[in-house]
Amino acid sequence: MTTTMNGKIRTEKLSFSYGERLLLGDISVEFADQAITAITGPSGTGKSTLLTVFNRLWEEIGGGALRGRVLLRLEGRWQDIHAAEMPVSMLRRRVGMVFQTPNPLPMSISANLAFPLKLAGIEDKQEIAARSREALLRVHLLTEVEDRLGSDARLLSGGQQQRLCLARALMLHPEVLLLDEPTSSLDPKACTGIEELLLELKESCAIVLVSHYQDQISRIADQVYLLGERTLLRQR
Amino acid sequence: MRRALGTLTIAFSFAATLLLFAAVLFFVGVIVYRGWSGLAPGLIFGDTRPLDALLLRRQVFDGLFPAMAGTLALMALTMTLAVPAGLATGIYLAEYARGRGKALLSLLFDILAGLPSIVVGLAGLALTIILHRIFPGRIGPCLLISALALAFLVLPYLVRSVQLALESVPRTLRLTAPALGADKLTTIRAVLLPACLPEIAGGIILAVGRAIEDTAVIMLTGAVASAGVPRSLLAQYEALPFYIYYISGQYADPEELQRGFAAALLLLAMCVVMLLAAQLLSTGNPLRRRP
Ligand SMILES: Nc1ncnc2c1ncn2[C@@H]1O[C@H](COP(=O)(O)OP(=O)(O)O)[C@@H](O)[C@H]1O
Ligand SMILES: [Mg+2]
Repeated sequence: MTTTMNGKIRTEKLSFSYGERLLLGDISVEFADQAITAITGPSGTGKSTLLTVFNRLWEEIGGGALRGRVLLRLEGRWQDIHAAEMPVSMLRRRVGMVFQTPNPLPMSISANLAFPLKLAGIEDKQEIAARSREALLRVHLLTEVEDRLGSDARLLSGGQQQRLCLARALMLHPEVLLLDEPTSSLDPKACTGIEELLLELKESCAIVLVSHYQDQISRIADQVYLLGERTLLRQR
Repeated sequence: MRRALGTLTIAFSFAATLLLFAAVLFFVGVIVYRGWSGLAPGLIFGDTRPLDALLLRRQVFDGLFPAMAGTLALMALTMTLAVPAGLATGIYLAEYARGRGKALLSLLFDILAGLPSIVVGLAGLALTIILHRIFPGRIGPCLLISALALAFLVLPYLVRSVQLALESVPRTLRLTAPALGADKLTTIRAVLLPACLPEIAGGIILAVGRAIEDTAVIMLTGAVASAGVPRSLLAQYEALPFYIYYISGQYADPEELQRGFAAALLLLAMCVVMLLAAQLLSTGNPLRRRP
């Protein structure tokens, strides 16, 4: 496969298995930059697992085995995510992830947003505050939480929590955003809000969206893949 | 036939529950009834002015103050020793130990949790004897050795409650910090421990509840009938449960026995308060309906 200008994520003969069970077999694909790539398919086929391959989070879960290469085009250069020059903490700062169920950390709203910055060694209070505001603004949450940034993030509603998690993932300006059924625990209104947000966000990064809502996919996805029988089939 | 058996089972279960409930009610009733009349103004401080006693300006000879102070000091010391060790071991078992080593250690702590406290007391006594040989005349049965033995007694509960709390953190939350680039230690410190703080606090309070009423350990390792407020870690001391044990065997007149009941009431109240606090911390509401 040749390197195209607008590729962002590439796999070369990627295989993944949990124990005896082969979930992904010899997959070679390329996902575009500044686009939403949707991955759909029956449950249990390995969609979530595929996402965790891109930020190497599967290594924290244990029991999995990976073969093949995965490359990301970070700062304009294709880089092997398993290369020694790419520490896993660095990779995960460039690749944001939002999970199916909202997962606010057990701390205040502002501490949730500051957390990734502090991990990256950014301690300056003013910078943290400014970037938190910017991220909250981008997910359209600022006006709702502005006056209670110090309160426990777990007290927010489900939709608010999910937008906070998205804001937290955006704090370090990731180049890739992995979203695992991000709207499945939300009501229709919050769901529409997130979808509009993703259309805005794709201008600045590559989004991989696992979803099994066909209407959602047809509304916002630029590329669509079906995961079934260990392979990814391009649908659109 | 089957239906009759079913009815019989239900009736028997109901009767057993009722009997148990009545027994508990009777037991608490006796203590409250006998102890209540002993709750006189002089019960705690005797003839000494409370302020003088609290500031340790004057000794209390005929009140429960030294026993309460001894019990409090003992609990503070026990928990200072047990909580850090319990936390560290619980974290190790939940987050680092794997496979056979983990299974073996878990089994070990389950066995330790079932150790009778008289056995732990004997171990404490053996330790005292050894220390006494090494430092003749300087170390005997004392507050520090009791606290060590009690810490050992409650350690398995602490370890297991910390371990269980950590292991029950949902996977998504567990993966949150690593997905943002955090290493394992940061994840434990900033996410996992805060997330299960209520359960851990509940476990600590239950451990205090277990330690505070224990008599077997302390009577072998340093508690005595009369010592005043403990002045040093190497001093003997008085304690509420030991006072109850002692007075019920040695009382000279009915009034003294009544003081024993009053002490029991105090101890019971402390335990109930702590149990409720533990429930409140770990479930939010102690009277919440159970599934
Ligand atoms: N840690 C694990 N160990 C073993 N099997 C796993 C593990 N995690 C997931 N699986 C299995 O891998 C399969 C794919 O899971 P997942 O990626 O969550 O599927 P999807 O997101 O498509 O529903 C499932 O059958 C699941 O049971
Ligand atoms: Mg999934």
